[in-house]
Amino acid sequence: MNIIPTIGMETHVELKTNSKMFCRCYVLDTDLPNESLCPTCLGLPGSLPAPNKKAIEFITLLALSTNCSITNEGMFHRKNYFYPDLPKNYQISQFDLPVGTEGSLEIVVDGEFETVEIERVHMEEDTGKSTHIGSGRIDSATSTHLDFNRAGIPLVEVVTKPLIKSSKEAVAYIEELRQLVIDLNISEGKLEKGNLRFDANISVAYEGDKELGTKVEIKNMNSLKSLEKAIEYEISRQTKMLKSKENIIQETRHWDEKKEVTSSMRSKEGSADYRYFSDPDIPNMILSEDFVNTIKATIPVLPSEKRKVFMDSGLSIEDSNNLGKSSNWIGEFYIQVSEITKDSKASFNFITGELQGQLRKLELLSLPNWVTAKNLSEIIILVNNDKISFTSAKEILTKLIEEKLEPEEYAVSNNLIQENDIDEIGKIVLEVIDSNEEVIIRISDGEDKLIGFLVGQIIKLSKGKVNPSVAKELLLKEINS
Amino acid sequence: MENHKLSISKINKLFKDKELKPSELYDEVFERAASTESIIHGHLTLFQEENIQKALESNTRYEKGEHLGPLDGIPIAIKDNINISGHVTSCSSKMLANYVSPYDATVITKLKKEGVLFTGKTNLDEFAMGSSTENSAFGPTKNPWDPSRVPGGSSGGSAAVVSAGSAIASLGSDTGGSIRQPASFCGVVGFKPTYGTVSRYGLIAFASSLDQIGPITNNVEDAKLIFNSISGHDPKDATSLIATKTEQPNLNKAKIGIIKELMEDGISEDAKEEVYKVAKLMEAEGHEIVEVSLPLTKMSISIYYLIAPAECSANLSRFDGVRYGARVSGNTSSEMMELTRAEGFGPEVKKRILLGTYALSAGYYDAYYGQALKARAMMKKEFTDIYKQVDYVISPTTPSDPFKFGEKSDNQLEMYMSDLCTIPANLVGMPAISIPTGLSSQGLPLSVQIMSPANTDNTLLDFSQTLQSLVSFIDKPILNRTEK
Repeated sequence: MNIIPTIGMETHVELKTNSKMFCRCYVLDTDLPNESLCPTCLGLPGSLPAPNKKAIEFITLLALSTNCSITNEGMFHRKNYFYPDLPKNYQISQFDLPVGTEGSLEIVVDGEFETVEIERVHMEEDTGKSTHIGSGRIDSATSTHLDFNRAGIPLVEVVTKPLIKSSKEAVAYIEELRQLVIDLNISEGKLEKGNLRFDANISVAYEGDKELGTKVEIKNMNSLKSLEKAIEYEISRQTKMLKSKENIIQETRHWDEKKEVTSSMRSKEGSADYRYFSDPDIPNMILSEDFVNTIKATIPVLPSEKRKVFMDSGLSIEDSNNLGKSSNWIGEFYIQVSEITKDSKASFNFITGELQGQLRKLELLSLPNWVTAKNLSEIIILVNNDKISFTSAKEILTKLIEEKLEPEEYAVSNNLIQENDIDEIGKIVLEVIDSNEEVIIRISDGEDKLIGFLVGQIIKLSKGKVNPSVAKELLLKEINS
Repeated sequence: MENHKLSISKINKLFKDKELKPSELYDEVFERAASTESIIHGHLTLFQEENIQKALESNTRYEKGEHLGPLDGIPIAIKDNINISGHVTSCSSKMLANYVSPYDATVITKLKKEGVLFTGKTNLDEFAMGSSTENSAFGPTKNPWDPSRVPGGSSGGSAAVVSAGSAIASLGSDTGGSIRQPASFCGVVGFKPTYGTVSRYGLIAFASSLDQIGPITNNVEDAKLIFNSISGHDPKDATSLIATKTEQPNLNKAKIGIIKELMEDGISEDAKEEVYKVAKLMEAEGHEIVEVSLPLTKMSISIYYLIAPAECSANLSRFDGVRYGARVSGNTSSEMMELTRAEGFGPEVKKRILLGTYALSAGYYDAYYGQALKARAMMKKEFTDIYKQVDYVISPTTPSDPFKFGEKSDNQLEMYMSDLCTIPANLVGMPAISIPTGLSSQGLPLSVQIMSPANTDNTLLDFSQTLQSLVSFIDKPILNRTEK
């Protein structure tokens, strides 16, 4: 019988509000510790939380964009546990009345659409940051340094239902969520900065079993790569245990980035009872229909909608998905170009491959204003009509980014127009065959890779003006005749 | 020199007429402190030296006719669970014995703007948990009427210093009667406003949904003056109310309900007698007296002792030795926190934290805390409904006159019962005032409590002023009498 893994994801998204969740301290991007503090985010005696309206708008935007139902009268709860970087020794979070419930998110896995079901989207405050000196863990550290800059930054926790089937799907889900929060402009979405932090709940069971296996929570995955590896490691660990009828313990395990293994952090059985109760310092959160409608009206084009536009232009699901990850102006530029060239794939390849590659190399964030959809399309059409080689197209593009020019004029005046005349190319082919008799014999003996060498000779002799595919075609014809 | 017993408006008139200087009154209250503090121990700290300059500045303002308002130059004592920037806020706990607050509570900011002179910080039961100040880590406060008796609590220090004259007025906090019960025991006025009218920002929380700051004064008009100066919406306190128009109870020909359940067993004859006495005086004034039944008031102690400890168990979690306050070292961070809390908290605080932790625990929440929330909501409805029939409800403030030290500390339930009459107002979030009306057979002060609907605080205060003039309570504590 097959063993089937089941994965649920819990993701914390750090919102990019100006101030913290319950006080007006700035959200700072700094390495200097304890720079942005006040009585409230430091949990000083007598301080009180005053919720940040912008953060509530942001989470509502995210909940609506993940098709959640909005809880019209929500509540903040206190989650009680002791830890030195938690200033009040309780975290203000949400419990049974989160902002959003029962949502879904469309993702792309291996060029196919899948749907991830969202259980809840709730608001909470971040904790401070502990740096353990001399050890990775607090109880074996020689000292622990506490930085409370992060304490109180608004976090949205997005929890999926345990219906994810593979590490690939989990990675695709995080990629989609990341793109979504970036497009909604509610988070920087930078994994390396901890703007998005995720834990995975993994269990395995025999196919057809009615009940899920014992859930194990994996923490400390800091990149998509480690997410994928950790899930795969954990699935194989649990699968082996299930096969050999070993008891899988419900626990939290820590992903070790260096050793690429998970190891036990703490057993869930003796775990904390968080003693949730509604926070008496904060009145119920009323999200009126008017408020929700106002937020709904601000939803921008979502990643799934962008994908649809790109697919309608003729791109595959995969290409559409990838294009959606670029800046919005790239997508818009692509649409203009593909409408002119009438070749979506070539437009996509040229824009995402060549154009974006060059911009990255030059560290440019936008196009010079003379690079228009029209003149970029002209280059693509020249290639498509076999008038110039791809190499020439790249050269023209490089020039075009440097200075204003007309691509076709440039190609002509720089002698880049390809020879497509079969008679002319035929002459050169024969010339090359004549001067490479030995090579021809070896090709006849099966050394196919030498064909490329001869094509190269033909192009060289024509000073680059011959269309390589035509040259190859003619060459093969001659050899085989 | 008896200026310290004058009303604030009279003092203000003397200041304005240049018949008295703020610095002279300031010296007078500190002289009172010098002769009474060694007996009653109402203040934990006295600010005499550091505030003399402020008193002189107040002198100058009155000389130039530029005083800041009726409270300019008035010496007021502050309960030591309200933060004043640069001063220790100990909550009468070893945990915070040396904790200096870096910020002012909103009420302090407001009083400073009005030119109030703070006399110092007053004693309380540790973290405001208690009814006698016997739970203070720094020794109890004594009742100025009889130093062998408790001043009540938890704002025992704040009530005793007003009674003894070492402050013109004081601020207390009231979670289950902590302003009204000590005010009653010390023969002064204590007012707990509608929940949310006075900002809690800077008040060290005991039970957030019940705590409310209010004044303790020599008379009702002083209470009104201070209440209006400290109230108002505060964006730093999310539970702070934004003023809305509310239908007000009648001031003339009002209908007053005597709460039946608070005139039964457990209430002393003396205490009941005061209520009947007041009722008769009111009736003579043309008000109508009826008996009303609020059955759930009988459950208020049970409800309170689930909700208050539950909230306090979380509110007091932050005292762990990590960032501020006392710290006892340990081998690990969790051992440090455990030892700090074991050492820093007194027995009553620990008991309530345990009680609250238990009431919120998985498997017990629904049976205890959840039930208490439901009962509280029902009780609120009961009160709202009663106010459709009557304008005010009255009861004794305390079941008896002040008890002796040690008398109830061995019987916790009896101690908790001393808050029976005051707890309902906190659970329903409505205003309540305690007004001294007479003396018990032992010659100790007794009070009557008047309650009114939420957001009718000023009307309740105006109405109470009439009652005050009807009873004309002029007796003085033993300390003041012997001195003369």
